[in-house]
Amino acid sequence: MQGEARVLWALLGQFSWQELRHHALRHGTAMLAVLLGVALAFSVHLINESALSEFSAAVRSVNGQADLSLRAASGGLSEGVYAQVARDPRVKLASPVIEVQTLARDAQGKRHPLKLLGMDAMVSGPLSPQLLPQLAKGVDRFDIFAPDSVFLNARAQRLFNVKPGETLQVQTGLAFKKLRVVGSVAGGNEALGLMDIGSAQATLGTLGQITRVDVQLTAGAQAAQVLAELKLPAGVVADTASDATQRVSNVSRAYRVNLTVLALVALFTGGFLVFSILSLSVAKRQQQLALLGVLGLSSRERLTLVLAESGLMGVVGSVLGLGLGTALAAMALRLLSGDLGGGYFPGITPSLHWSPWAALLYGLLGVLAAMLGGWVPARTAQRLAPAQALKGLGDATGQGGWPWLGPLMMLLGLGLAQLPAVNGVPLWAYLSVAALLMGGIISVPTVVGAVLQRLPEPRQPAALLALERARRMRHTATVAMAGVVASLSLSVALTVMVGSFRGSVTQWLDTILPADLYARATSGGGNSSEALHFDPALLTRLSQLPGVTRLHGLRITSLSLNPQLSEVALISRPLKQPEKNLPLVGALVPAQAGLVGIYVSEAMVDLHGARVGQALALPLRPGQPPVRALVRGVWRDYARQQGAILIDEDDYRRLTGDTRINDVALWLAPGSRTDQVEAAIRQVASQQGLAGELIEFAEPRQIRETTLRIFDRSFAVTYWLQAVAIGIGLFGTAASFSAQVLARRKEFGLLSHLGFTRAQILSTVGAEGLALSSVGALLGLGLGLAVSVVLVKVVNPQSFHWTMDLLLPWGRLGLLCGGVILAGTLTALLAGRHAAGRDAVMAVKEDW
Amino acid sequence: MLHVQGLARRYGAEVVFEQVNLRVQPGEFVAIVGDSGVGKSTLLNALAGLDRVDAGQVQLLGQDITAMKEGDQARFRRQHLGFVFQAFHVLPHLSVTQNVALPLMLLGQSDDKRVEAALNELGLHGLGERLPQQLSGGQLQRVAIARALVHRPALILADEPTGNLDPETADRVMTAFGEQIREHGTACVMVTHSRSAASRADRVLRLTRHGLHDAG
Repeated sequence: MQGEARVLWALLGQFSWQELRHHALRHGTAMLAVLLGVALAFSVHLINESALSEFSAAVRSVNGQADLSLRAASGGLSEGVYAQVARDPRVKLASPVIEVQTLARDAQGKRHPLKLLGMDAMVSGPLSPQLLPQLAKGVDRFDIFAPDSVFLNARAQRLFNVKPGETLQVQTGLAFKKLRVVGSVAGGNEALGLMDIGSAQATLGTLGQITRVDVQLTAGAQAAQVLAELKLPAGVVADTASDATQRVSNVSRAYRVNLTVLALVALFTGGFLVFSILSLSVAKRQQQLALLGVLGLSSRERLTLVLAESGLMGVVGSVLGLGLGTALAAMALRLLSGDLGGGYFPGITPSLHWSPWAALLYGLLGVLAAMLGGWVPARTAQRLAPAQALKGLGDATGQGGWPWLGPLMMLLGLGLAQLPAVNGVPLWAYLSVAALLMGGIISVPTVVGAVLQRLPEPRQPAALLALERARRMRHTATVAMAGVVASLSLSVALTVMVGSFRGSVTQWLDTILPADLYARATSGGGNSSEALHFDPALLTRLSQLPGVTRLHGLRITSLSLNPQLSEVALISRPLKQPEKNLPLVGALVPAQAGLVGIYVSEAMVDLHGARVGQALALPLRPGQPPVRALVRGVWRDYARQQGAILIDEDDYRRLTGDTRINDVALWLAPGSRTDQVEAAIRQVASQQGLAGELIEFAEPRQIRETTLRIFDRSFAVTYWLQAVAIGIGLFGTAASFSAQVLARRKEFGLLSHLGFTRAQILSTVGAEGLALSSVGALLGLGLGLAVSVVLVKVVNPQSFHWTMDLLLPWGRLGLLCGGVILAGTLTALLAGRHAAGRDAVMAVKEDW
Repeated sequence: MLHVQGLARRYGAEVVFEQVNLRVQPGEFVAIVGDSGVGKSTLLNALAGLDRVDAGQVQLLGQDITAMKEGDQARFRRQHLGFVFQAFHVLPHLSVTQNVALPLMLLGQSDDKRVEAALNELGLHGLGERLPQQLSGGQLQRVAIARALVHRPALILADEPTGNLDPETADRVMTAFGEQIREHGTACVMVTHSRSAASRADRVLRLTRHGLHDAG
């Protein structure tokens, strides 16, 4: 064994090193691809882990050391709950909290998000020491309780450029309230303002209501038992800080996994380049390897040698990739604050959390990808028949060994696609895509044989040579075409998925935006709907404006149905004809007496099991029994991943008493000018003493354009990915053709002797390129369509809980395939341009 | 039929050969012997227009092949020349029949009977559908000979045709080769190290740096 290792090292040091040194650029490219794959995957992992870790710290910072938090499933919590909880002897500390996301104006009048907390400083201190208010010098200590005083954390002071002693304008509804900055507070990673709880209630107009009660229990008290015995009113839910972190982890998991998979695609292409480069290298060294075989190197040792070469490329690429990945992650955390576009970690600036175990895992993945890439060339080296190879006679039988393996893997892929997600991650679906791709690539020789076998034998010598070679040397077609098949199928799958998603979003926008104009009391993000809303009286005035034929309001609140899951959106609006006005998926069931009709988004079905015809208990009002509601239909919602429930406006108001409105949809009279209507709405608001300029307007066309612009920007990366994939695929094809041309120099020399002109030899190589590219494109298209069905019908619903229609952009797909066939043929011609030279003539000489 | 006059080939300042003169009559079989590295294969390539010459002329069937353009040389070769190599050089992905039919196909002629006859004449009956990997060395060289003769060229250039064969097989292949070229009335220039192979020629010449001389 030791002897074998010594031989292997010696061969790596001399035989392999010479090859690497002479073709440093080529091998460097393969290592670079592994390096980039590892770097991307590792950096995505580091960024996500750092962001999650920081988010957890941020939650702890705001929630303090509470054992649990009590909050209403919907809307605010009555103060009575606090009194009830605080009296229990097993409760050591209870702290009432108001938490609202709103906007505040900086010195230039620009608005930024601000989290406003209202707390009782007398009881919150021990629970949340980081949120202890620090009075500024010279400020009276009773100013803590003054109705207009606020403490800002450092981030808010920087963002709004205010210091203690100055004022900050905070938006509530459609008005600004001036607050005096009287000191600072340490906690919170985002811009945060802390007020006395009574002052906060007065400022926000929520007297008698709180957001939550943070509770610390006495030693030995069991939270579940205390909660059960407290007999809290219906609609009060309890959760812990770890629940909040777990929720964000769950919500963002699919997004993070998708990003990681995208990065792993880069690693896959890295492995593929190793495959192409080593295939070329083995083809070039065929006679040297054969000679080593004659001299006593066993077939297993030849396999080990080539695998070791790929492994070494993987090790070097991985080590450098881990370094680059760490640097990329550190840079992204500084520039993007840990949010990779999903919006799951708002307002936090994480520091890098480097894990040696993760580094080891991603490093090993890099080595594994390279060694998988090296497996086929290593097997080629192993199967080499030394005597035949030394005579220059390749194996023309073209039998790959297991012709059933490719179709079997594709069948396995189809089977895996039927399995459900694992913890919200479409793990089996990804494996299905991998199995389909691998099976498709392995099937290249079988498909090439099946397609070309049907063609009649050409009478043109160039065509005959091209066709017979493609038929009889199908295993070399695998090497040449695998790149085209893999890259084209990825491109087709991405094109179909993005096209389907875009088309479905466009149709969805058309359905959900029927009005001529939309008005909103500004978007604050988070739970801003509680602070930023229209007054019902204003709505009545707006409906009487000239040019407005009708309007309806939209109220958006949140509802907690399961503490383990994120809150769902509860949307109230007029729903007289849901079958016409909603983007429904499937049929409606008739209304039932005694049950409130609701319409749930697809995410509700996946996450909360809310199926059509099923009755749901909705905790709409704290202290009241849950409302029994019937799921009448399921609608498609691309705006809210965690679920949304639509309820008719009349039902909502009757059941909750809440008459506030967040968005208004307006239908205008023919000939009305939207700018005039907008000005009139602002004027009406100002006449009521409100800040009319705070109202944001949008026409459906603008919303559609903005949405699609954001969509295109978000998916722009997929076009780059396609270009890179096809580039790498063609690089692999070029490398394979070069290898085959090198191996066939004697053949081309013979053809020159027989009277082939240079043009005829080139056309033979070009015809082979055309034949193989065409079959590769056909297979890539079919495989890509299969993968796209898995992406559209399985990966997307399992990841994001929404479905989409499968739309096939045939024109673009045709261009993709045509481009690949053209590029494949040109690549073959370029690779073969030396084949017809005088050097090839000399290659037939045995005696020189 | 073949008239070579004052042919010379150099690599830089080094002379490979010069003053090569040769006349071959229709149906004549000429063997060229010489030391390794003297340029025997280079001379054959020069005769076929596959290698450049530094001086002299090669006239075949009255046409100066050295003065032709590359494309014309290729077309001339496919019509009037046949080749047999030491290492056989049959195309591994074509069947025996397809290999033999290739020169006819290049000329735009399709004659299955002639291909079959060529195979039969060389003892390859029943092997037409086989691939080269399934043949022995002697069989491979007979496939190459069939391919060289099938389009009835005026001249065959053979480069060490028995170099890769054992003496017994070489003897059988040379017998078949000799019979075929005489039967077809084809002229042949063969370079070889083998005395046995050379003994079958009408004339044996020795190539040196300074030209071709009678080898006695």
